[in-house]
Amino acid sequence: MTLALDPGRRQPVVLVHFSQADRCYEPEATLAVRYTVEGVEEGGVRAVERSVLWYTEGKGEEDLGVHFFERLSEPPAARSSAGEFACQLPAGPLSYEGLIVKIRWCIRIRLFFSGGRDFVSEHIFDVGHVPAAAFSGFS
Amino acid sequence: MRLPRFFAKKRGHRRTGSEVWGSVGEALFHAVLVVAGLAFGGLLVTGVAVPEWRMNHDFVEAEGTVIGKGLGRRVVPAGSRIDTTWQPGLLLRYETPTGEVESWAFRGPRDSERDRARARLEQVALGGQVTCWYDPAATERVVLERGYNWWMWALTLLLPGALLAFGGAGLWRSVARWGKSEERRAVARPGRGTRAAGPASAEHQACLPACDNLVNSPGTILRFRLPLESPENWTLLGFGLFAVLWNVVLVLLAVNAGLDLLGGRLDWLLLAVLVPFGLVGAAGIVVFVRGLVLTTAVGPTQLEISDHPLRPGGNYEVLLAQGGSGTFSRIELTLELEEQATFRQGTDTRTERAVVWSSSLGSWRGLQVAPGTRFEAGVSLRVPDTAMHSFITEHNAVNWRLVVRGQPLRWPAFARSFPVVVFPTPSRDPTP
Amino acid sequence: MPAASTSVRHPTNPFATRHTRPGRLPPLDEAGRPRNLGGLLAAADRLPAAAIVGPHGTGKSTLLVALERMLAASGRSAGLFRVRRRRDGLLVLPAVWRAAAGSTLCIDSWERLGRLERGAARLVAGIRGCRLLVTSHRTGWPPTLVDTSGSLAVLTAVVGRLPDHGGLLTHEDLAVAFLRHAGNIRDSLDELYDRFEHRLRRS
Repeated sequence: MTLALDPGRRQPVVLVHFSQADRCYEPEATLAVRYTVEGVEEGGVRAVERSVLWYTEGKGEEDLGVHFFERLSEPPAARSSAGEFACQLPAGPLSYEGLIVKIRWCIRIRLFFSGGRDFVSEHIFDVGHVPAAAFSGFS
Repeated sequence: MRLPRFFAKKRGHRRTGSEVWGSVGEALFHAVLVVAGLAFGGLLVTGVAVPEWRMNHDFVEAEGTVIGKGLGRRVVPAGSRIDTTWQPGLLLRYETPTGEVESWAFRGPRDSERDRARARLEQVALGGQVTCWYDPAATERVVLERGYNWWMWALTLLLPGALLAFGGAGLWRSVARWGKSEERRAVARPGRGTRAAGPASAEHQACLPACDNLVNSPGTILRFRLPLESPENWTLLGFGLFAVLWNVVLVLLAVNAGLDLLGGRLDWLLLAVLVPFGLVGAAGIVVFVRGLVLTTAVGPTQLEISDHPLRPGGNYEVLLAQGGSGTFSRIELTLELEEQATFRQGTDTRTERAVVWSSSLGSWRGLQVAPGTRFEAGVSLRVPDTAMHSFITEHNAVNWRLVVRGQPLRWPAFARSFPVVVFPTPSRDPTP
Repeated sequence: MPAASTSVRHPTNPFATRHTRPGRLPPLDEAGRPRNLGGLLAAADRLPAAAIVGPHGTGKSTLLVALERMLAASGRSAGLFRVRRRRDGLLVLPAVWRAAAGSTLCIDSWERLGRLERGAARLVAGIRGCRLLVTSHRTGWPPTLVDTSGSLAVLTAVVGRLPDHGGLLTHEDLAVAFLRHAGNIRDSLDELYDRFEHRLRRS
């Protein structure tokens, strides 16, 4: 899901292609991503940030760790409607579907427009093969 | 560098898509504090610090002749009354490069008592010689004493210092965060939400708990001895100290009340206080004695392990040793995985825990432990191949631990936890 | 932070903290309708100080965050101060002192402050000419601006504004959670989190 700019405005769409079709990576493997941006005006984007990060979700307050971060603010890279990047993933933390704590990896493509507004697109992928935690206490 | 936050201030999540005006307002607010701190500090430095420094470094020493004496009076309105203070003053004649100068100088602190100030004045005779220091830039300005009022310096710089600290920290934070996305801010503060990990650099990124205190105690048979999660001895010591201190106070109060009674005085308030104090003191003793008996009767629990930290798919040996005396109807050793999440509910901070995986490593029934001996058992432990590694951040954690649960025949059941750390499997290493 | 991409492999629990914390949901009245924040602020402007009063878990903090955000947008906010511990009282007075004349300082959990600190904050606010907008569990001073109370309608409306639960929960589940927690919306959402996780793993 992405953050809307204005209710009546057509939203940009960021299409992402992962090097692994099932979006499942081994720890310390290489993550390679290609993306395209649709629905923005020519020259409307003044900067792009690409990041690979993990965050927690569940009952606790969210924690966040950025593994890879890159900001493109010089044309033509910033104004390009497509891009790609790669990075080596760390040994951990592994993706985890717990009961009250979940750890999720994702890439974020954040577009900065003239006028100070921004738009972010997030795409989840997995690191490791930890099975989901089982529930053991509810009816 | 983590800048201090002087109060818990949260604006919640901005969803307007533009944070510019919010950041401008915040920066302006802190800039005003910085300017106020600088202005105030500048006034204080020029008005207090610099003159005092000049007096101690630039003033020229001279021999002055006392040609007159008097009391300087200061009148300060203080609400409905008037405060008057007196200070001895001497009219001095002294030589300067530009000629002879006559000027008043005041000596000693101000005094609210006129007679006391006059008595100090009488100690100096007319025509006598005194050492003085004059300002070469304004020779009519002369002093009889020099030195520094350090406490004045500290006090006068305290307020501008506080303004600069508040405003500077906030302004720096506003500038540092200006126009930056959440990801960019997270990159700028490495290590936030994580803790120092174990040995290898790769593990630093995995948010692993530190395990130094888990591997610094060698075992007698296996390689490491694991520490207890919450040592009961410290809790017992705390109860004991409380019981002792409280009952000492209680005894003192009781003795006081007794003496009053013997003297024919009846202090009802003291007697009324003694009753609840006595109940609390008695309860403290009972709790402490009960804890002491339980600890000595149940005895210590020790765990040793063949290697640490653990890895998914790894095989390890664990040695359990349970002391005490008497019969244990049951003792069980389990390996558990527990999730921990800390969250804010309004202004409360709560932590919720959930055990999401548990495996029994061994269970023993009908154990008889003789005094001075202990029950020992060795078990094998295999960490599942797909086990989640240990994980800890500011608000969330995934913890592994070995838990010993026991049911003594004549005492309440106990559960003692021994934390262990599971590292992620390095991709290039074969599974142990 | 944007909501996570939802996929079959990574279903998002709609009751996770990221979706339910104060500031993520609009404040609702007892009927489950969005509150008229402008009207509330206009009423608060006629008072030197005002309180949002209600029991635990009925949306006081959520409403305070929303009002503070509106004040900030119009440049009238002196910030939001959360009283978590008794000793936070020492920090309240500097916060009140720093507030500009005509601005409003929002304080969450007013009743946690000691009587002396509350009195001092009231005095300093009067001297500084700033307003106080607080949350509290009990009436008194400041005068009550609005009462919050939990109702099944509120819980239903809140759940309706969260990400879709995919039919894993029914209205009966909401009613059971609401009754079990005696009208505490926050604790009800907590239980619904667990219930969703359980049903998800069973499905």
